[in-house]
Amino acid sequence: MTEPLLRVQGLSMTFSRKSGFFSRVGEELRALNDLSFTINAGETLGIVGESGCGKSTLARCLLRLLTPTAGQIYFAGQDLLALPDETMRRMRQRMQIVLQNPFSSLSPRLNGFQLIAEPLRTHTTMSRKEMMDEVAALLAEVGLPSEFMSRHPHQLSGGQAQRIALARALALNPDFVILDEPTSALDVSVQAQIINLLIRLQKQRALTYLFITHDLGVIQHIGDRIAVMYLGKIVEETSSERIFANPQHPYTQALLSSTPLPDPSRSRQRIILPGTVPSAVDPPSGCSFHPRCAHVMDQCRTLYPAARQTSVGHHVSCHLYENGA
Amino acid sequence: MTLLAVENLHVQFSTPFGAVYALRGIDFELSKGEILGLVGETGCGKSVTGRSIIGLLDENAEVTQGRVRFENADLLQLSEADLREIRGNRIAMIFQDPAVALNPLFTIGQQIGDVLRAHGADLRSEQRERALQLLNDVGLPDPAQLVDVYPHQLSGGQQQRAMIAMCLAAEPDVIIADEPTTALDVTIQAQILDLLRMLQRDREISVILITHDLGIVAETCQQVVVLYAGRVVEKGSVETLFAQPQHPYTRGLLSALPRAGSRGRELNVISGTVPSGLERIKGCAFAPRCGFAMPRCHEQQPAFSAFGPKQQSACFLHEPLNHD
Repeated sequence: MTEPLLRVQGLSMTFSRKSGFFSRVGEELRALNDLSFTINAGETLGIVGESGCGKSTLARCLLRLLTPTAGQIYFAGQDLLALPDETMRRMRQRMQIVLQNPFSSLSPRLNGFQLIAEPLRTHTTMSRKEMMDEVAALLAEVGLPSEFMSRHPHQLSGGQAQRIALARALALNPDFVILDEPTSALDVSVQAQIINLLIRLQKQRALTYLFITHDLGVIQHIGDRIAVMYLGKIVEETSSERIFANPQHPYTQALLSSTPLPDPSRSRQRIILPGTVPSAVDPPSGCSFHPRCAHVMDQCRTLYPAARQTSVGHHVSCHLYENGA
Repeated sequence: MTLLAVENLHVQFSTPFGAVYALRGIDFELSKGEILGLVGETGCGKSVTGRSIIGLLDENAEVTQGRVRFENADLLQLSEADLREIRGNRIAMIFQDPAVALNPLFTIGQQIGDVLRAHGADLRSEQRERALQLLNDVGLPDPAQLVDVYPHQLSGGQQQRAMIAMCLAAEPDVIIADEPTTALDVTIQAQILDLLRMLQRDREISVILITHDLGIVAETCQQVVVLYAGRVVEKGSVETLFAQPQHPYTRGLLSALPRAGSRGRELNVISGTVPSGLERIKGCAFAPRCGFAMPRCHEQQPAFSAFGPKQQSACFLHEPLNHD
């Protein structure tokens, strides 16, 4: 088997913060706790989870915008955390990110041309003429006419602005794009346009995606494999088909069952989880999901379950699946 | 039994750019004890509709036509004093962001107590007793402790529950819930929607649920009203409308949703954009984006055609072909 494009091993990110303004005692917030996963070239891995589960921290760690407290990130065979800053800067050309809200990620002072040409200006030696051509080609690729070169973000709709953000991310011809809730701020009809565009771009440019979302409908459509996160841990990871057909972790089951589907004829037993996600500053002992879990057993309160493979390519961290059950 | 009826409601906003037509004729009826979903994309007028009903529109807004019938009265004609009797008491509203709607300076118990006092519960002890009961009713754990905390000490889901408890203090007949779960995570959203269904079932409260999420409508509501550019394009019972959507916009919206089985296919897109509120629209508002548009669609506004007793859609495609 070929080496995956991205291989993450034992990644942890702990933030230290003061517990109060005058307090000298620090608190530790474990945003990511020993994550391991891989993404193959050309694949889309979906990261699903609710607010506070660490999905956006993960994105920032992968680009080394945050320095993880432990673990390794191998991108195209290289250990990113060991790279000198200058090499990492060049490496980032191959790794891009698109954020949820284009109006906060795009500078309001720049027009479409300046926004998309900025990475070209920083990383290449193109002439202005070459840049004009390149920007026009990128705009066409994301489905916008070249008039958009002169438009500023406030003149754009949400969908148009997200297209500009995509063109900017593609400017340096990356291999890997992190999409952090790219359609969550959009209306349904516009969301569909952006999703179609993402799939088309992936095919044309052989892109590898890490798609972060809380929307299971979207990830079911676009994801090849899905990792479900809860409180800084991956609790289940398998193919997109399998996770919807046979969710195994009680949290995944509850998440799927909580997602409203546009089909009133479907009668189903809803699993309604009690309580809320606990604080990552003071996570529950053992399995961090145990206070909300309907299947909780004694060992769940003390021991975090190791990830185990329940069938080929299906990994679950839950004591229910021990003893080969 | 019809409890509340919105009839031909038109609302305009005056802005520096001219009049913005937010509602261009909205009609629907809410029956006792049912949950009705008002659904549509950004700018379709769903929130304005909700706010018009209880007179909470901004100052630059004006109702130019229409009625809101509630028990033989037209709410739009009532004096501010009479409307205040109805607002909160009979028709209560829940907002998207409970952190904004709750007063940060008072405890949850004090805020519920205020509502109870306005409804004749004068004794502190009685107010506290009722507040505890209400917090318990909305499923908050440990009411005895929560009654004395400030809003910021609660999570988003707990704040929304506290907000619902405040609404219930006045024992309203109707709750208008404007995107009550949009700011919440899905597992918390499921809890709050479950609570709304319980209130409807156990207390026969009618709910107008304003949302952009068709999944929420399908799972929570009995009736649905689909809005587009300030007009109703289709309405009816949830079962029939989702099984057989008739209006091209409703069809487009449903087929734009990624879901099980859509993998590998291109999602249907609705081309173009929603018309600006500044535009005067002569014909069907959806015509410029509609794949089936005929010349008359741009000229005349289609009336509702009935599909069985439970569903209506406003589109010329439904009319028998005539030669014009």
